[in-house]
Amino acid sequence: MSLAWSFYISTVLVYLGVDVMACWGLNLQYGYTGILNFSFIIYQSAGAYTAAVLTLGPNTAGSFQQYIGGANLPFPLPVIAGGIAGGLLSAVAGVITLRRLRSDYQAMVFLVISLIATAVVTSDVGLFNGPAGLSLIPQPMSTALNFSLVGYRWFYVGLTAVICLIVYAFLQRITSAPLGRSFRAVRDHEQGAAALGKNVTGLRMTSFVIGGVIAGISGAVLVEFISAWSPGGWLYQETFVLFTALIVGGTANNAGAALGALLVPVAFLEGSRFLPQFGPPGLIDALQWVAVGLMALIFVWFWPRGVLPERRRIIKLPGLPQAGTGRPRPVDYEKTAEIR
Amino acid sequence: MTSVQRQRAAPAAQAALLRVDDLAKSYGGVHAVAGVSFDVPRGRITGLIGPNGAGKSTALGMVAGAIKPSRGSVLLNGTNVAGWPSHKVARRGLARTFQQSSDFSGMTVMENLLTARYGQRGDTLRGALLGRRYWRAEQESLTARAADVIARFDMARMANEFARNLSGGQRRLLEIMRALMTEPEILLLDEPMAGVNPALAERIEDYLLQLKQDGLTMLMVEHEMAVVERLCDPVIVMAQGEVLAEGTMEQIRSDQRVLDAYLN
Repeated sequence: MSLAWSFYISTVLVYLGVDVMACWGLNLQYGYTGILNFSFIIYQSAGAYTAAVLTLGPNTAGSFQQYIGGANLPFPLPVIAGGIAGGLLSAVAGVITLRRLRSDYQAMVFLVISLIATAVVTSDVGLFNGPAGLSLIPQPMSTALNFSLVGYRWFYVGLTAVICLIVYAFLQRITSAPLGRSFRAVRDHEQGAAALGKNVTGLRMTSFVIGGVIAGISGAVLVEFISAWSPGGWLYQETFVLFTALIVGGTANNAGAALGALLVPVAFLEGSRFLPQFGPPGLIDALQWVAVGLMALIFVWFWPRGVLPERRRIIKLPGLPQAGTGRPRPVDYEKTAEIR
Repeated sequence: MTSVQRQRAAPAAQAALLRVDDLAKSYGGVHAVAGVSFDVPRGRITGLIGPNGAGKSTALGMVAGAIKPSRGSVLLNGTNVAGWPSHKVARRGLARTFQQSSDFSGMTVMENLLTARYGQRGDTLRGALLGRRYWRAEQESLTARAADVIARFDMARMANEFARNLSGGQRRLLEIMRALMTEPEILLLDEPMAGVNPALAERIEDYLLQLKQDGLTMLMVEHEMAVVERLCDPVIVMAQGEVLAEGTMEQIRSDQRVLDAYLN
């Protein structure tokens, strides 16, 4: 493999890991709990900015970029702090939005929150250097490890994979427990869940904040790799790319969410880079958004459950025959006494 | 001791499990429920009937915590739960079914039942993170109970089917089964026979009678007079947001105000 391809593929793999994590976070909120979070990208961005300023070091007067809260923390503290920032911001947005509003209004408020966040960060240059954003963010352990440029990138691919595995194990533990069932109950019928003693707002907040933490971690992992972050990279449209990935891959199924991340933001959007240039400059980029929107519409219309739909969780008991069609996933209490 | 056993052991003096007093709900200038008062005695099925728009479902919603009352009290086992949110009322032993089906359509029948029980060990973030070892034993016992309920309602064939694939009548049954999984002290039923074919309606009626014989207290909104006649005693008649009459079905049938407002 040539150096250029090695460079490119390692970059794409890190992006894939970041998108997979983001889709898992959004899947927990939307796929499992039914929260239409149209502001998802801002929690990823909160994580990215937090990790960036905690890696850049204190801001010095006369520097080409201005920011708040600069520090020089060792890896993985900036990534952890990024997750906390995503969680805290989502807790604030959740308190405003999830307590009293119906889900369609929640979606509208989330969209507005996303627009406001972008406007504030773009306008207030003292916050995170305005529209120019932050750059020259040191890559974690790059000097200590002394890898070649491409060698370090493959190291980071491994690091991203490890973080993805941790996030996956964490999510599987939650979604396979009775808590995961309660999330899905809230998604399917809010009043019905409340009538069974479920604290609907509490469950939504739990799911929303965990999703925010994962979004923050994904942003932090990305910014430590690409060494730059600006408002142009987290416009509200990016949230819809992740929603499309979920719709295509399949909701309430972490494997489906990962597949969606592979198919939409990585395979589809990256694949379009290899198209021969046609039309005026920017036409292909604009068509990408049209295609993403069309893809979401087509799947919602023809395959609303996505490529890997939510699995039917079969619980097998003596005297209860299995019935129906779908993707059975047997759990035999007699033998394994397990619930999945 | 199950809730049913607890009810059987309760002294006869505590006749009314639920006492509604001067309960009212206004939307702007419209009085949907204009200060109703009634008792729901233990171990019986109390019928709540009346013409459309009488305020029955609103009253039921206020009792269950889904609708915040403008005034009045709802004494459940002596505790005033008026204005409490649904989940807190449910935790005090009140279960309900809805006029429109409220099943968790993306979950199987079995999962619907397993979700029903409040306070499961793995139903908190901490409990979930502690892993299967922490919550598995409780799930096994809940699963055994769910299997009993499913067998009792002859739904074994559908146990692992998505709720969205059930018929309308089966969904009604599922709601009742799910409510029973909470081991309620009182069950509120909002038109349980609506949209159900006659054969299944008969089965639902039989199940409700069995539950009554087990000592479960129920408050049922229903339009089908023959069903009310067979199941309910006492019967409360509402019209235009007020209680018009209360008594046995025989007494209700001979009440001229009821005849004028509803039965005729």
